[in-house]
Amino acid sequence: MSPNRRHFLQSLAAGAAGIATTGAPRWAYARTFDAEREQAPAVRDPKYLEWSTAALGEAKRLGCSYSDIRFTRNRVQSIGVRNGQILRGGGGFGGGDATETYGFGVRVIHSGVWGFASSPLVTPEEIKRVTAVATDVAKASAIAKKRDVQLASVPAYDEFWAVKIEKDPWTVPLEEKIEHLRSVCSTMQKNSAVMFAVAMTSFEHEWKYLATSEGSFIEQEFHFTSCEASATARTGTQVKTRTLERLAGAGYEFLVKADMPGKAEQIAAEAVEHSMAKPVGQGLKDLVLLPSHLGLTIHEIVAHATELDRIAGYEANYAGTSFVKLSDLGKLKYGSKHFNVNADRTFPTGMATVGFDDDGVKAQKWPLIKDGILVGLQTNRETAHLIGEKESRGCTFANHWRNYPFLRMPNVQLEPGPKGSPTVEQMIADVKDGVLVDGSGSFSIDQQRYNGQFGGDAFWEIKNGKKTRMVTDFTYNAITTDFWANLDAVGPPESWEHHGLTGDAKGQPVQSNHPSHGSAPCLIRKIMVGAAYS
Amino acid sequence: MSYSVEEVKTITDKVLNMAKADGVEVSFAGGERSATRYANSTITANLVEHDQSVFITVYYGLKSATTSTHQFDDASLKTAIEQAQELAKRRPDNPELMPLVKPPQEYLPIDAALPSAVDFGPAERARMVAQSVAICEKKGVLGSGYIPKLHWTDAYANSEGLFAYYRYAEASFILTCRTPDGTGSGWAGTTGLKDVTRIDAGAITEVAADKALKSRKPRALEPGNYTVILEPRPAARFLSLLMFALNARPAEEGRSFMSAAERGQTKLGQKVFGDNITIRSDVGNTILRQTPIGPDGLASRPVTWIEKGAVKSLFYDRYWAKKQQKPFTPTGPTQSLVMDGGEATVEQMIKSTKRGLLCSFFWYIRPVEQMTLLNTGMTRDGLFLIENGEIAGPVQNFRWNDSPARAFNNVSMLGRPVPMHIGEAYDNPGTALVPAMKIEDFRMTSISPAV
Repeated sequence: MSPNRRHFLQSLAAGAAGIATTGAPRWAYARTFDAEREQAPAVRDPKYLEWSTAALGEAKRLGCSYSDIRFTRNRVQSIGVRNGQILRGGGGFGGGDATETYGFGVRVIHSGVWGFASSPLVTPEEIKRVTAVATDVAKASAIAKKRDVQLASVPAYDEFWAVKIEKDPWTVPLEEKIEHLRSVCSTMQKNSAVMFAVAMTSFEHEWKYLATSEGSFIEQEFHFTSCEASATARTGTQVKTRTLERLAGAGYEFLVKADMPGKAEQIAAEAVEHSMAKPVGQGLKDLVLLPSHLGLTIHEIVAHATELDRIAGYEANYAGTSFVKLSDLGKLKYGSKHFNVNADRTFPTGMATVGFDDDGVKAQKWPLIKDGILVGLQTNRETAHLIGEKESRGCTFANHWRNYPFLRMPNVQLEPGPKGSPTVEQMIADVKDGVLVDGSGSFSIDQQRYNGQFGGDAFWEIKNGKKTRMVTDFTYNAITTDFWANLDAVGPPESWEHHGLTGDAKGQPVQSNHPSHGSAPCLIRKIMVGAAYS
Repeated sequence: MSYSVEEVKTITDKVLNMAKADGVEVSFAGGERSATRYANSTITANLVEHDQSVFITVYYGLKSATTSTHQFDDASLKTAIEQAQELAKRRPDNPELMPLVKPPQEYLPIDAALPSAVDFGPAERARMVAQSVAICEKKGVLGSGYIPKLHWTDAYANSEGLFAYYRYAEASFILTCRTPDGTGSGWAGTTGLKDVTRIDAGAITEVAADKALKSRKPRALEPGNYTVILEPRPAARFLSLLMFALNARPAEEGRSFMSAAERGQTKLGQKVFGDNITIRSDVGNTILRQTPIGPDGLASRPVTWIEKGAVKSLFYDRYWAKKQQKPFTPTGPTQSLVMDGGEATVEQMIKSTKRGLLCSFFWYIRPVEQMTLLNTGMTRDGLFLIENGEIAGPVQNFRWNDSPARAFNNVSMLGRPVPMHIGEAYDNPGTALVPAMKIEDFRMTSISPAV
């Protein structure tokens, strides 16, 4: 399911979707540290080879047919400013404290069944104990199994892989980051009709070491940067918030390029205009959707629907199944001829870009939809055999050392149209009665990804080929295959953007994933608008 | 993994003795989270997670910082404390900082770690799965379920001498049954039980399996306004949509449903719902057995939020209360949440309905408009048409767009409250006592053929 909004900050801290409840356990496992002093872990530290070899040996001695051990260390710094004042969340979160979480999880197959256990106490004795717990858990489960877990084959790798960044966020002083956010806030607050101005940023560095009984020893480093600026305005009883939100697998340079200070004035002005805007009304309209909006639409009605574990029923009790059936592969008409979608774990700066997944499978790119026809699915080692494939597509992921890995979506990207395809301006000129939509808002969809109701962050009326004024009370209803069948144009390659998101909740216990979804602007004809407000 | 009062106090005392500042507070959390998950009638995940941590906050005037560690040796604690001290001094003043809560705080005694839940392990969970799957096979459906368990300790201590401790153990059993051809789906479950002997895996499976079988071949009805009977799970999800609005600060800042038309004013004292709507935080409730520790270590007391449809209380944290010169609230809105019910059974609600819908589950609820509490969501896993007091057959799922602000004025019958999680997932505490509800004139806006 989808981003439960909002924040990168919160999801990194809580690691889970769902409402916050007083007295909830703190699954943060965090240690706080001085971001500017603390160095990243040493690459290829021999102790992990030693500890993991011992764990895999112990699992083998206990009779496990498969085992892996995954160490992760995540360091997060998040800062939020509201009307110029530093936000202070739970445990100082949001106030600029940098937190670290470090631990390991052991996953085994014994008696044909998975077992998993994890701990924050990283010592040889605890690794041995946790390996035994994981094995015991698997053994206890065997009385209720119907079939053995079946894993696709995978080569063994001994590699180090890292996201390339231009500037390490951990070298930038806290004071400089706070000042950056305060300047964004103060620009928005210059507009006297703005009630609240909020600016936030968050940086994460993740280190991961995976060893498997297949012979792999894989070490990886990731960086994630997010930022958000929002202004809230109220006119009469109409309260509206305009938000700019950006996330990527990148370093500090991403915050600079996002240029929140340069966009703050416009954000404030559009919040005020939105608070005064008239309802869009109800009816069939043409939609010009910008990439900032399409990210979540692609996420909900393409990316989730093509997860093979959902199709096979693994998520029936929570995130849901899919309207896509196994027999649809190669046949289902998912959209118009303009509709081409790839899954991609290799795309630079993607939020779900990796060197290897948590099964130890090398990252790859492959087509899901070609010329409107469903041609591929997302698989991992456990599910590949369900569609007769011999190798995994590499979609296993756990969001934390404490959590078990399972099938999670990669970056899923709508390919741009060919060179010379219509620009946003040309799409608008070709619309008589429509709406231009930017950003993401209210999103809801059924458990099979068929009936979606989507909002956005800002909306402009299009009349007779012209963008006229902001409107409000906008939602649209999409039946997935009808919606993409009405895809009339996709913008050219130079208009393609990708947008990262987080809060993608799936699994029990629920885990939050963070993919990116890219697209060019799209023109979709004749979509029902405004039914939520009728 | 269990932490006694003495073990926790030894750790928190150690931190308080080591830290040098104007004020120090320590939050301890630790224990075990474990779970068994199954799908297509076979176990797909089984896990045991252990954690322990302290969050340490130091105060110097209006400056503070929090650090944390999950290792309790002297060196780890010393590092965490020294870093908090240094970070606090670099921090800008925070005018919203409040002094530490002073003792005495008289916490209501709550026995929340019953042996049956503490000892509820992977073998017990596997036996439940086997029992459930056997019923599924007999009835010809596939079971997909989740059995989470928490055995957890939360504690709070500060340099004013306050110490609060709460340990609990609870489990849930949540199940979706589907027909093998994917044309029928049914849900049943119970959550947050401190007394796990109340989990009847067999009875829950019977309900979910029957719903799956009866939901096959649904017919499409026209979207429109319907009388709906919400079983406790969809009722709990619908109730959750009110929680944010019970906070005083956004109400007085003019950005919530509880904001009055005049800026800075709230709807406190106004009648906003029907006479039969009463919503409380019943701290000490003997079924919920939830924490008696409130925000900042305050001793929580029962609070009535909505009484017979009128807004009786809003939640004021200590800072906002001081700023607005109002008393603070020692209890958060989701603590020990109870919605008062009635005596009606779901069967009686069905009998009393000329034409309506029986809803087993609400899914993917998201806000559409925060000031009016307009939300959208889907029905799922068992939607049935009621005609002339009887179930007439399954119906294709609907998307709805409605608001508790409107619907809680249209509640015509209420059942007896039962434990049910109000959140989308079931992992953290969040169980409330919620009744089934019959709501008139509920807005179903479009159809989904999803099963």
